[in-house]
Amino acid sequence: MPPNPTILVIDDEEVVLDACTQVLASGSCQVCTAGNGAEGLLRLEEVQPDLVFVDLKMPGLSGLEVLEKIRAKHPRMVVIVITGYATVSSAIEAMKKGAFDFLPKPFTPDELRLIARRGLEHHRLVQQTLSLRREQEMLRENFAAIVSHELKSPLGALQQNLYVLVAELDEQLSPDQQQRFARLQTRLEDLLKLIHSWLRVFSVDINKLKETFQPTALAEVVAKAVESVQPHATRKGISIEPTVTEPLPLVNGDAGSLAEVVVNLLNNAVKYSFPDRPIQVRADAANGQVRIAVTDRGVGIAKEDLPHLFQDFARGHTQPEGVSGCGLGLAISRRIAEVHGGSISAASEPGQGSTFTLSLPAVAAAADSPPSPNSERKV
Amino acid sequence: MSAPKQLLIIDDDPDFVAGIKAILVKAKYAVDVAHNPKDGLAALKAKPYDLLLLDVMMGRGAEGIMIARKLGKDPKLRDLPVLIITGIREQMAFLFPGQAVHPHFVNVDELVEKPVEPKLLLEKVEALLQSAGTRKAQSS
Repeated sequence: MPPNPTILVIDDEEVVLDACTQVLASGSCQVCTAGNGAEGLLRLEEVQPDLVFVDLKMPGLSGLEVLEKIRAKHPRMVVIVITGYATVSSAIEAMKKGAFDFLPKPFTPDELRLIARRGLEHHRLVQQTLSLRREQEMLRENFAAIVSHELKSPLGALQQNLYVLVAELDEQLSPDQQQRFARLQTRLEDLLKLIHSWLRVFSVDINKLKETFQPTALAEVVAKAVESVQPHATRKGISIEPTVTEPLPLVNGDAGSLAEVVVNLLNNAVKYSFPDRPIQVRADAANGQVRIAVTDRGVGIAKEDLPHLFQDFARGHTQPEGVSGCGLGLAISRRIAEVHGGSISAASEPGQGSTFTLSLPAVAAAADSPPSPNSERKV
Repeated sequence: MSAPKQLLIIDDDPDFVAGIKAILVKAKYAVDVAHNPKDGLAALKAKPYDLLLLDVMMGRGAEGIMIARKLGKDPKLRDLPVLIITGIREQMAFLFPGQAVHPHFVNVDELVEKPVEPKLLLEKVEALLQSAGTRKAQSS
């Protein structure tokens, strides 16, 4: 418990305020009071209390409204509602809205002390969890720095020297030896890429992306992604068929990382698709959302794997032969989707194929966006 | 045939330096090496160079960035072309793969990532030397 916890009591009945002050201040608590909701909210900002009591039934701002306002601004604030006899149902409603507990009126000094102690204890645990989380965050960042410096640098130096060796020995190498060098370089390249993926997952504060969000046309994002995956697909005899249903509202976001999501989805589709089956990419808008759906006709995903798909290092148990990857692509994609206020989902039928859908909130139709001349456009 | 261009590499990883130095020497550049920022700055003051290859993340921090900042403030060194070598794009920003952060510390600079393919390294060095030459011709 903090050495001198501060408790704020908001109630329109002076008797209650006085009683609370008397009972709670006899512990080592600081008590401040407010006679109505608006004043209470002001006091809350001033004193930053560790615990708040709010009477549900007050003239002006009701206790529930006060509770909602507090929770919206300070989601971790511990709030206990004070409620009259016949209002258990409103107490429950308050709990649903995030109140920690409720105290029925009239209450004895012991009941008040007990519930205050529990509230403060809860506050302490919340604070502790927060600081642990911060510590974990720091560890993660340090880990990333170590991975970066201690693993990436030596591998970089290795690769650099291989480049030189290959250049220097160019004429003298037999085809077999050339192949061995190529294999060395490929494996090193893969390792470096893997480390990059790790760093992206562990070290980067993805929320920074938000600082540079811009109204973005997803048709261009899709086109760019398709272009980047096309060579890879062509090698497997797979065609990628994009369809953009216009008008497609803009989304507020980062074109580069959104393209990365689509590239990830397309790469997966190519990876798990049966040869010579087309991959569909559909972009359309519905209910204020813009969706990009990537559908393959491939091996599909087992039902039991679906829920874990977007977790870090998740990979299905049933991998087709020759498929490699570290299982981070979808986790990164999910994070990118979430930072855009969107989501990503998967549906699949084993043996038939899978559909991955990226949904993003559309920017409210801007008057200055030019209408598209043709309603259905192939990119 | 003109005298070979003088290049300086400042990078604290001797193995990596060996890898790029060999490429540059083979392409007939004269190459000096400094393995820490202090030696690097001393070398820059001791004789004129045509180009600097600078690792921005030396040691545990961004000591290379500090060198680049110093260069940008020094009227004598401000126009020295710098090829910034980096392995750190992920820590500086979240960007689409293939795009690196280009901080533009000095008048003429370029960015490559570790490891760098010989052809790309030589192209960047050549391009930097040329654009620095053009700049000089214009200002004189």
